[in-house]
Amino acid sequence: MIKVLFFGAAADRARTRERGLDVPDGATLAEVWPLIVEQHAELAPMRDTLAFAVNGEYARGEDTVSPGDEVAVLPPVSGG
Amino acid sequence: MFAIVDGAIDVGALIAGAQRPDCGAIATFVGTTRVDQSEGASVEHLEYEAYRPMADSKLEEIGAEIEARWDVRYVSIVHRLGRVDPGEASVVIVVASPRRGPAFEASRYAIERVKEVVPIWKREVWSDGYVWVGSQVGTREPAAEKP
Repeated sequence: MIKVLFFGAAADRARTRERGLDVPDGATLAEVWPLIVEQHAELAPMRDTLAFAVNGEYARGEDTVSPGDEVAVLPPVSGG
Repeated sequence: MFAIVDGAIDVGALIAGAQRPDCGAIATFVGTTRVDQSEGASVEHLEYEAYRPMADSKLEEIGAEIEARWDVRYVSIVHRLGRVDPGEASVVIVVASPRRGPAFEASRYAIERVKEVVPIWKREVWSDGYVWVGSQVGTREPAAEKP
């Protein structure tokens, strides 16, 4: 089980800000994404704009996640 | 000082905190909320949210990048969250350096990096709905079609 956080427009689309998600051991972020979309189909069109963080640091599709990790779904940042 | 705050930012206090006898320049950048208008509707205020503590550590990383590139003796980046009304400061950057050149350059670099890497998002709350800036997702469909 990992924790998935949604922010900004992604939280709107997911209709939640946080959820638990069961993922296979050693799954990569690229493999986790379809599992997120299974639960939150309205996120799918945003895929190309999104970044991801694992435990508070930017991560890429080939990076793996472990049980207990916090995966954040990050729309294009717009601070300032 | 690197901080993410809920209330108004005291710009004067941040500048005063940067004053040092070994520095001849303090550059300050204040980002303020701008009110856009289109087709009879207007932005009433902005709302910011952040992924913390990642956003806090990214501000500190920007500070470290600046200290590695320029001779600066003090860097402060403060970003506000929650509702920010038109014309109010949403972000304030203060850099002190012995010379003005590095102070100007580093403050410019800081705001550009804030906009690139710090996980903070704003939505424009219009009189007829809202829009997440950068994602063009929201309840205000005409704005969602803008480039």
